Amino acid sequence: MSDYQQFLDERDKIDFLIQKGCQINSVREHLNGASVDFLHPNGNVTETLLIGTANGRKYFSSLLISQNQPKD
Amino acid sequence: MADLRINLAGIKSPNPFWLASAPPTNSGYQVQRAFEAGWGGAVWKTLGDPILNVTSRFAAISFNGQRVAGFNNIELITDRPLDVNLKEIYETKKKFPNHAIIASLMVEPKQEKWHEIVKRVEDVGVDGLELNFGCPHGMAERGMGSASGQVPALVERQTYWAKEVAKTPVIVKLTPNITDITATAEAACNGGADAISMINTINSLMGVDLDTWNTVPHVAGKGAHGGYCGPAVKPIALNMVAECARHPHINVPISGIGGISNWRDAVEFILMGATGVQVCTAAMHHGFRIVEDMIEGLNNYLDCKGIAAVSDIIGKSVPKYSDWGNLDLNYNIVAKINPEVCINCNKCHIACEDTSHQCIDMLTDANGKSYLKVREEDCVGCNLCSIVCPVDGAIDMIEAPRELAPMTWNERQAVLSVAAECKADIVK
Repeated sequence: MSDYQQFLDERDKIDFLIQKGCQINSVREHLNGASVDFLHPNGNVTETLLIGTANGRKYFSSLLISQNQPKD
Repeated sequence: MADLRINLAGIKSPNPFWLASAPPTNSGYQVQRAFEAGWGGAVWKTLGDPILNVTSRFAAISFNGQRVAGFNNIELITDRPLDVNLKEIYETKKKFPNHAIIASLMVEPKQEKWHEIVKRVEDVGVDGLELNFGCPHGMAERGMGSASGQVPALVERQTYWAKEVAKTPVIVKLTPNITDITATAEAACNGGADAISMINTINSLMGVDLDTWNTVPHVAGKGAHGGYCGPAVKPIALNMVAECARHPHINVPISGIGGISNWRDAVEFILMGATGVQVCTAAMHHGFRIVEDMIEGLNNYLDCKGIAAVSDIIGKSVPKYSDWGNLDLNYNIVAKINPEVCINCNKCHIACEDTSHQCIDMLTDANGKSYLKVREEDCVGCNLCSIVCPVDGAIDMIEAPRELAPMTWNERQAVLSVAAECKADIVK
């Protein structure tokens, strides 16, 4: 799989969780990329994605910045 | 006609083009001819206790047909008596009162030595002083030049000693043979420097003769490191000027030096914070009259831009120069090959396939004609294909539509650390 295809795959998984109402709760960066914990809106279910591509890591970081910005 | 005059820490000259302290400014004869050709100022070849030189002294590297892409010398400071130099400085200043004459100085790191030479040189009417803390060869072995210039405390102390008696502006010339030039630049400022200049030459060995196994150059079969300059060093010099120009504690004018060969190079240095520039290698390669093109080119550039004075562009690019952590990670450019211009040499494909990101495909159209195409989704915008392409206009690097808001590494790390703190709270 090309880097781009792998990124699309990671982005789809992230978008799916976001569309379910999940929020990024924590990020652990390591030698294989980043493990991103998503917290379900009901607050008691966590799902973790391993994000390995550079574009994928840029993507969830941008979402995290957007998520942390004050809402109007 | 734009106003090309500059005022560098009180040193005025009719244009920003000065000859650097080096062989071209060894004598009154040379400096007067340079002023007649149009140079706005000259930094006299470094004065100090007269030295003994060796032969041979210079070497140059030619690259793919460009002669003197880099230049190396093992010549030392002036070998002429101080009184002879002072007499010629006096005569030159009398003949060219509106041109800047700056005396480059190098003595042992002793207070009385600096006091003596500063007083004697100023007595003949120089417009300013340049303390040579940069010469990397010969003099450094005696504790002077770059040996002094690599130790911030010595730079500060000697600058202070010169300033104790100087009546004219003091420029401190810095060595690039140091990890962080802002450390010595700041030391010069702390010592009271009115301006700084950079860069002096870079430690270098030009080559080794494959037949004789002698160094290039060699002196009776032995070599020693020299100082490297010329077009090849320009990017190094430009970065050092820019780093000093954007440093919050370095607030003195900068005289830019290092591979400046034409008006375009000069404009780049001025945009990056230099008030004026000094030139050596290009004059040694082409003669004093290259300044005519420099003056004309700079004037035309400013006129075309509608800018009245060269001083108006000093430092205009400095705010655009930052740390890597402040660059936008979400900004994307991609390569686009123009099939009308491409000659199908395949250099871009080879470069990308072998050493970059494998995103240029070699394809064949319906008529059996070969063409190259970039898979934009896999292109990381590294520029390599356009760099190796031998045809201007065959590959353009174009901005990709923005998909994500701007985000720097520093911003990313800040939000990740906040996320980590939130997690900690939740765990509690």
